[in-house]
Amino acid sequence: MGVITVENVSRWYGNVVAVNGISMTIGPGVTGLLGPNGAGKSTLIHMMGGFLEPSAGALKIDGQDIWGHPEVYRHIGLVPERESAYDFLTGEQFILAMARLHKLPDPRGAARRAIGLVEMDYAAQRQIGTYSKGMKQRIKMASALVHDPAVLLLDEPFNGMDPRQRLQLMDLIRGMAEQGRTILFSSHILEEVERLATHIEVVVAGRHAASGDFREIRRLMTDRAHVFSLRSSDDRALAAAVIADGSATAVRVTDQGLEVEAGDFARFTRLLPRLAKESGVRLREVSPSDESLESVFSYLVEK
Amino acid sequence: MPIITTRDLTMRFPGVTALESLSVGVEPGVTGLVGANGAGKSTLIKILLGLQRPTSGSAEVLGHDIATGGAEIRRRVGFMPEYECLLPDVTATEFVVHLARMSGLPSSAARERAADVLRHVGLYEERYRPMGGYSTGMRQKVKLAQALVHDPSLVFLDEPTNGLDPRGRDEMLALIRKVGAEFGISVLVTSHLLGELERVCDNVVIIDGGKLLRSSAVASFTETSGMLVVEVEEGRDALGAHLAERGLTVQADGRTLVVQLDGEETYDAIRDGVVDLDLALIRMEHGRHHIEEVFQR
Amino acid sequence: MSTAIHDIGYRHYDGPRQKHGQTVRALYVHNLRTLFGLGRGGKAKVIPFALLAMMMLPALGDIAIKAVVKQPDSFPMQGYGYILNPLIAIFLAAQAPVAASREIRYRTVPLYFSRPVGPRDFVAAKFGAFTTALLLLTALPMTVMHIGFLLTRQGIVEAASQPGAFRDVSEIPTVMEATREWAFGLIGALLLALVLSSFALLVAAYMPRRGFGIAAVIALYLVSNAVVGIAQGIALTRSAYDLAGWLNLFTPFNLVYGTQVALFKADGGVIAAPPPSGTGIFFLLFCVIIVAGSLAALHARFRKAGA
Repeated sequence: MGVITVENVSRWYGNVVAVNGISMTIGPGVTGLLGPNGAGKSTLIHMMGGFLEPSAGALKIDGQDIWGHPEVYRHIGLVPERESAYDFLTGEQFILAMARLHKLPDPRGAARRAIGLVEMDYAAQRQIGTYSKGMKQRIKMASALVHDPAVLLLDEPFNGMDPRQRLQLMDLIRGMAEQGRTILFSSHILEEVERLATHIEVVVAGRHAASGDFREIRRLMTDRAHVFSLRSSDDRALAAAVIADGSATAVRVTDQGLEVEAGDFARFTRLLPRLAKESGVRLREVSPSDESLESVFSYLVEK
Repeated sequence: MPIITTRDLTMRFPGVTALESLSVGVEPGVTGLVGANGAGKSTLIKILLGLQRPTSGSAEVLGHDIATGGAEIRRRVGFMPEYECLLPDVTATEFVVHLARMSGLPSSAARERAADVLRHVGLYEERYRPMGGYSTGMRQKVKLAQALVHDPSLVFLDEPTNGLDPRGRDEMLALIRKVGAEFGISVLVTSHLLGELERVCDNVVIIDGGKLLRSSAVASFTETSGMLVVEVEEGRDALGAHLAERGLTVQADGRTLVVQLDGEETYDAIRDGVVDLDLALIRMEHGRHHIEEVFQR
Repeated sequence: MSTAIHDIGYRHYDGPRQKHGQTVRALYVHNLRTLFGLGRGGKAKVIPFALLAMMMLPALGDIAIKAVVKQPDSFPMQGYGYILNPLIAIFLAAQAPVAASREIRYRTVPLYFSRPVGPRDFVAAKFGAFTTALLLLTALPMTVMHIGFLLTRQGIVEAASQPGAFRDVSEIPTVMEATREWAFGLIGALLLALVLSSFALLVAAYMPRRGFGIAAVIALYLVSNAVVGIAQGIALTRSAYDLAGWLNLFTPFNLVYGTQVALFKADGGVIAAPPPSGTGIFFLLFCVIIVAGSLAALHARFRKAGA
């Protein structure tokens, strides 16, 4: 199962409200928790992992309260962002210790499996202090996987990784999601979230700003015109047709093609090929140029 | 005339080989350096600055040999480290002026250039406050300013967008483009975010496991793939079938269709297919490769 | 007047660039200013200037007494630094980290070494600046005291020439004698500055974490003083005068003052056990070794920090 529900959760530190009345549901698959630095992502993740008590509201896994119920920790694995202080242990010793802490029936076997899962067998006998950043990240992942949890929470997992390590980790996460696990990872790097997450939750200054598929979210942003970049065999004729029709609020002619601002997304996307065909214009490129996660994100942050 | 040339550059530390017979030439402009974290890239920068002697091999920066012309190289090169390196009780102005003097500028020139450069990177009144209270974005700007203040011919920027949120990232990338295009200073920038490098760099050098994997223009990495990526609101499969019937090679991919571009008629076939089936066309783009694919092989 | 939009875009710099020596001098001046808190806000000025003021007090007091009471007795010239060593120790502890730890702690060193400034220049500038600062602390009051003597001498001589005066004119140092004392005092002050600054910078450079540098310098000062003091006490009760004299080597202020006693006829009565006769050269050599060794280790430390 592994569904985490966040019910109107707040968390404050004196006057600083890190998390402000957030409700969300995280289910199986890969969800990206997105937000600027200091938005409360880390706090939220730690509350989901049972490491922090909410000041108000409740966090539950499959209907059961997380905070104060150590039995549910068996189902949750958390990989925190901060460096852990176990430099003097070898990878294997560290994971074994974790396995024992979880009182697993076969700690050695579980440790070996977890290390294998993150492909760290070759370095398991070396001290963690000698690991590169990517390796440390992977051993932390192994420690969160050793008890085979249904839910995996990752706080900024790709921080500082080089491209190859990042691809490997992304593949690993995708694999685990395919097994039916619920995986939530936080990031402020849109590129990563775009590639990996099937579902995003956006948090801005402690508030829950949006959730869902980012392209769908973009469609919901109806107070902003959608911008399309077009290239065709006859830009000016196409521009004239688009203007005459009236569904565009602005058309700009540049040497890279046309830029069209359309107020009504549904209408324009249906209309464009028709207009092109009727005017005998060949469409070469149609790009919704602000459909990136980036533009969705900056819109939400500005609100 | 390459600004950096390395020949069989090798750097071995006990236990790890950071660079292995690296031979590469870097042209003027903005060049990205990607690859193995830590050991490889920071070692390479130190070697090019003449601060670390390589195990073997040679290199030239701006025409000077790293073994004999280190001091001259350091006169003409700027360096923006990846890590925190600012003093908390000093103002940005003081800091940059002092470092300008350390680069050999006389004091009035140091003051003027520091003021100008801080303006170019976008630090205004903040520059008179001690740096201890600066945000990450402001810190990165000061680091960039001190790398530029002595008018270098080449700057090394090590992970300049580290720790920045999307807006700060955009600002920094725009600055880097400005440095390369408007200021006329060559840039060697490292990053592990390939998308950024695609946006900002003219050329990219990829190092993997200490060895050179590839070095070419960004354009060659991001060439069109000869495919069209088509996305419709709904009816993807119907469109796919329709196009296949007309002899096009079509494949489904996620929410899109990938159609092989068999000539100019392909564009019209797609357009008309969409109209005939009364669908909404969201996207029709030339598929492009990405730098990242190099790592997937 | 015609209308125009002026170009305020990036400008290249084709102007003169300073020679290496000028740059190192600029670094030296920068470090010296930092030591006295100039350019770092008010708080940073308190300790250095307060200590400087306190170092001046005996000298000013000396002048006042000479001018008013007209007695020739002086605060010791050559022993000035030795007697006020607690104040100097505080300056060392407080300011050595300012000179040597800051750039290491905040990882600023690579920003220097990626410029035409290397570890050698770094050491030279910092050593020069700290030595200058320490020299100011001692040589300035000594010089003021000497000037004061020159100005008040006439008055003292007249007072001593009166019938029933406490002192005889022959007890008043001649200008020649006093000037020689002052000159030796300056040499001693220089030696003290060199030894203390090199060693304190070294300690601070190896302990860059906040507070550790200060604590380490103070600890070394107190412990070495205490240990040597106790050992000398024991040696003296056993009449092992020579041994007691040698022990001076192991605590810095005694090392330098001992050298002054042995070579420049400083007043041996100021310290517990003067060095054995004829060992002056050895003491001086020891000073040189400490300075050279400390600077070498300091160089290595900065080189590593710039990597």
